Amino acid sequence: MQWHAFESPVHDSQRMFRQLLSAMSEPGTLAAVSDITVRHILPPAGSAVGAAGWATLLTLCDLETSVWIAPELNTGGLADALTFHTGARMAPSAAEADFALVLPATLSGQAPAFREGSDTHPDRSTTLVVVLAELEADGPWCLSGPGIADVRNLDVGQGGEALMTRLAANRARFPRGLDAILTCEERLTAVPRSTCITQVQIEEGVSCMLP
Amino acid sequence: MNSVDRREGPPADGYNFAYLDEQTKRMIRRGLLKAVAIPGYQVPFGGREMPMPYGWGTGGMQLTASVLGQDDVLKVIDQGADDTTNAVSIRAFFERVAGVATTTTTTEADVIQTRHRIPEQPLRQGQILIFQVPIPEPLRFIEPSEVETRLMHALEEYGVMHVKLYEDIARHGHIATTYAYPVKVDGRYVTDPSPIPKFDNPKLHMAESLMLFGAGREKRLYAIPPYTRVESLDFEDHPFEVQQWDVPCAICGARDTFLDEVITDDQGGRMFVCSDTDYCQSRAEEVA
Repeated sequence: MQWHAFESPVHDSQRMFRQLLSAMSEPGTLAAVSDITVRHILPPAGSAVGAAGWATLLTLCDLETSVWIAPELNTGGLADALTFHTGARMAPSAAEADFALVLPATLSGQAPAFREGSDTHPDRSTTLVVVLAELEADGPWCLSGPGIADVRNLDVGQGGEALMTRLAANRARFPRGLDAILTCEERLTAVPRSTCITQVQIEEGVSCMLP
Repeated sequence: MNSVDRREGPPADGYNFAYLDEQTKRMIRRGLLKAVAIPGYQVPFGGREMPMPYGWGTGGMQLTASVLGQDDVLKVIDQGADDTTNAVSIRAFFERVAGVATTTTTTEADVIQTRHRIPEQPLRQGQILIFQVPIPEPLRFIEPSEVETRLMHALEEYGVMHVKLYEDIARHGHIATTYAYPVKVDGRYVTDPSPIPKFDNPKLHMAESLMLFGAGREKRLYAIPPYTRVESLDFEDHPFEVQQWDVPCAICGARDTFLDEVITDDQGGRMFVCSDTDYCQSRAEEVA
């Protein structure tokens, strides 16, 4: 079993962080974790997490953070590989997680109760790292708010309703809320809690309208 | 003309890239992502001791160290000038410990660390402006307790800030606050834009660049993402106004910049010049 990490931990994680920072500050823009960002990044074989998700975890996790991994995603020794490379602890429950590696389906139905922070310390909240099967610009989800000049559209694929509905609910609880880094293979984007999310019907050709 | 200085040879031995250890950088990076997600909210972070005293920009430096990459071009300004002690020292520091290229030209820089000014040249998308902040809490001079101010932010209890501005009007006839003028970010958090002159406040609104703020002594960081609404607090009958000057810059003739008063002799002689040295120089070159 091979557990690959960054070839150059200092510079690869810096470039990866900058990509995350610009994704978080310009929600909905797609970026790719190419060879320019991180060379030869390989997630543990047999795990469903892609290059972008794996590089995100390697960049942000260390022995001060606790990570919760959705059971369906914890395959191919993913948790062991992450602990081995970063020293991150596995959170015993979602409510104690700094980072949570989830599928969009994790947020449907009886979703785990992630930390949303408090009104005085909204930063003490879980950051979701979502593993998606599809992630495209120009979809039915219309984003606006800080970091977006006008509006930006996003497609998170089939079964993304639960995820986007959960993230849309952030706005009502602001400043408490969940921030999400959406990943799909080598692509990533971010949807912080400050983003306003609405769904538009693209079949009818209705263009994205500001709420 | 290439205005970027590329340093010869590797960075100084014995230090991690950009001085801070990776563990500290990760902690600050996690804080920065939260700061961007909650615009204007002050995120506490485990500030480290830097090889310079508090008050010289240790907060800004820790942010710069966490953000900076080996391919970045760095610019450092102090009150708009590239050639003052603070700016020269911090630039030399990162040249040594990170081996990065530096510049004084605003348009060439990827990361700009600043003390108390925003460059006159509008920043573009992708550039990061990092502010050095002495006191990050705008309510601190009204309420000394951190527990109380944190609660005031949580409850959006900002009436007292307007009382302070009103007292200005009652005493002076106008809002006499000229720097560190409080702003409201995205309609939620009242935030200290650091001691920039209020002349620069309009540049915060819907800016194209990302703006990060670091306070080393107080161990707080916060952010204003690009394209974010930033309003300066005011009253309907006393709208927010910026400073104006009767004379143009004595060097470049600009009428739309922030001017510093320079005393030239002991006979009352004085001149007004742009505080942004790079902007002034590039304009003076154009004219010449």
